[in-house]
Amino acid sequence: MIEVENLSAERSRQPVLRDVSLSVAPGAVTVLVGPSGGGKSTLLRCLTGLAEFSAGSVLIAGHRLDAGPQPVATLQAVRRDVGMVFQQFNLFPHLTALDNVMLAPRVVLGLLPAVARRRATDLLVRVGLEEHAGKHPSQLSGGQQQRVAIARALAMQPKVMLFDEPTSSLDPAMTGEVLAVVAELARSGQTMVIVTHDHGFARRAATEVVQLAAGRVVARGAAGDLL
Amino acid sequence: MSAAARWRMSAGLALAVVACAGGAVAAELDEVRRRGELVWAADQEGGGPHVFPAADDPRRLTGFEVELAGMIAERLGVKARFQQGAWDRLPLLLGGVADCVINGIESTPVRRRDYGCSRPYFAYALQIVARRDGALLTPEMLVAPGPRGPWQVGVLSASAAETEMRGRDPAAVFVRSFEGTLDSLEQVRGGVLDAAVLDDCIFTFYADRFPDLRMVGRPFNGGVYTVLTARDTPALGAAIDEALGTLVADGSLEALYDRWHLGGRQQMLLIRDSADVAPAAVPEFRDLLRRVVPTLLQGAGMTILLAVVSFPLAIVVGLMVAICRQYGPRWLDRTLSVYVEILRGTPLMLQLYAIFFLLPRVPWIGVQLPPLVSAVLGLALNYSAYESEIYRAGLKAVPLGQFEAALALGMSRLQALRHVVVPQAARIALPPVTSDFIALFKDTSVCSVITVMELTKRYNILSLTTGRFFELAAVTAILYLVMSWPLALWVRRLERRLEPPGTGPAG
Repeated sequence: MIEVENLSAERSRQPVLRDVSLSVAPGAVTVLVGPSGGGKSTLLRCLTGLAEFSAGSVLIAGHRLDAGPQPVATLQAVRRDVGMVFQQFNLFPHLTALDNVMLAPRVVLGLLPAVARRRATDLLVRVGLEEHAGKHPSQLSGGQQQRVAIARALAMQPKVMLFDEPTSSLDPAMTGEVLAVVAELARSGQTMVIVTHDHGFARRAATEVVQLAAGRVVARGAAGDLL
Repeated sequence: MSAAARWRMSAGLALAVVACAGGAVAAELDEVRRRGELVWAADQEGGGPHVFPAADDPRRLTGFEVELAGMIAERLGVKARFQQGAWDRLPLLLGGVADCVINGIESTPVRRRDYGCSRPYFAYALQIVARRDGALLTPEMLVAPGPRGPWQVGVLSASAAETEMRGRDPAAVFVRSFEGTLDSLEQVRGGVLDAAVLDDCIFTFYADRFPDLRMVGRPFNGGVYTVLTARDTPALGAAIDEALGTLVADGSLEALYDRWHLGGRQQMLLIRDSADVAPAAVPEFRDLLRRVVPTLLQGAGMTILLAVVSFPLAIVVGLMVAICRQYGPRWLDRTLSVYVEILRGTPLMLQLYAIFFLLPRVPWIGVQLPPLVSAVLGLALNYSAYESEIYRAGLKAVPLGQFEAALALGMSRLQALRHVVVPQAARIALPPVTSDFIALFKDTSVCSVITVMELTKRYNILSLTTGRFFELAAVTAILYLVMSWPLALWVRRLERRLEPPGTGPAG
């Protein structure tokens, strides 16, 4: 599902990824671990075209990304098939939870409002938030917001889901409720790449753990062996 | 205090007031003499032959009234000092800033009532001027509509010509008032107006500059110019009047007019035989209101029209400028920043002037836009610059993560802006945009320079024709408030409604 070959990337002339290769099979859950500044988030952003890279290539969900600026059409095609969940949730504050989830299916996929609404409602049920559909993000707890953000990404029915430290800004109780949703996704066979510091979760959910430090892959293997 | 004591005290106060006033009467002339200067007000924009900057040295003023002021001051034993003012507002300078006004001020009943008016010093009449190849051939044609509807006629704002033309059937004559005397002649030359009506001496003076224009018929509706003084400086007024009398008697005035090719002999006869203008009666306030309110409301309607048409345009253009600057390529940002700085850095009045008067003269692309279109365009462009800066601040205040989250969902940049970034930026921008709308609402008054008859212009005309500056200013101010206050309230409600729940101070 994902093939990363010899990826190198710079940010402000400083190398952040050096010659990284990675392979994720369909249905697999790859967890990226390692110290802060090791390049985990940049790798994730390269996978969905939010960051450019200077060498190597990415094959993801049937699309190919090359070094340098990519055509807008390619980027949109990739992003349609790859969902992303951010550390800061990035929910749209002017929309209700339901509208947050409905927006992309309506605008990007052109679904009829009624169809998009049914899909969004089902997803809110799946993340346990159907009662909060009419609330705005500011009325939800951090954990609830992140679950809405997951539902929002799933609404595009992506082939791959990327999680960038989804629980780092949450307290332990809320971390649990978010990870429960992620674990349920893993069981359902969703291909996922997750950046996290939570080793316990990695051990439970990961098919493979990849450790990045100073922009290089320093170790990879089963969670039990590595952590 | 006993009743008798109270009576004695008020009588004493009254006496004191009378004494002071009597002292002032004697004092005002002494004050001019002590100062050694007679301050006379005029508008050099009014032009020749009255008062205008000399061709060889624009710092020096010349004109027959400049010389006349010098001669009057000389007779009073002082020097003349010029005070610049807008022509239609010159009388308001009396009492504080200027001792007298000498600038082609026609003797009218209202002025005779409200100011000290000297004996006549010059006789004028109104002259119709049109293009040689134009449709207007005789003055009589102005009583019925022309070939293209009402005749478009330009006049100097607040002049006798304006009063005369506005008194005609609106179906036959559509009047546009200009701030400068030459503006209307330019517009006739450019084919925008069918005719201009102005004091005959002005056209005589400038005729060589406008070879395409000709006088239509003989001068009509004659009147006389008078030197204005404030009502409460009768001694000064009398001294000026006396000085004029000696200038007539000893032939200096006739010689002056001959030097300026103004027909000295005929002028002397005309002012000798001119009939006295009777002062107007003071209207009851209620009568005044009944007469002016419909006209003011008409002006208010125009003000609203200007604001509600131009502001949405300003919003759309401003938003596009802001988005192009924030999300477009570097060169576009630079180009648009020049656009914004030019529009913010030059006065709105100048921009309106450029669009209406100068744009038609640009080769190839020059077009003459109608006044209303020019006004809307000028206001919209000017405010689009301010709006774009507000939206840019709003766009910057939306976290980058919002844009990224939208892109990550597969939206195009345009979709991300439209559905995610702009709605949030708009909420941030709403309060400053509101106050801009109220500012634009009031700035519509500037449009009178390009002959749009909005509320302030209507007030100007009415206050000049009735002489009731203060009462009408109050009525006009109330009208502006009545229009802008509900607007402010409505926007405050809108702001509250747009605010997502839980983000207010209560949440």
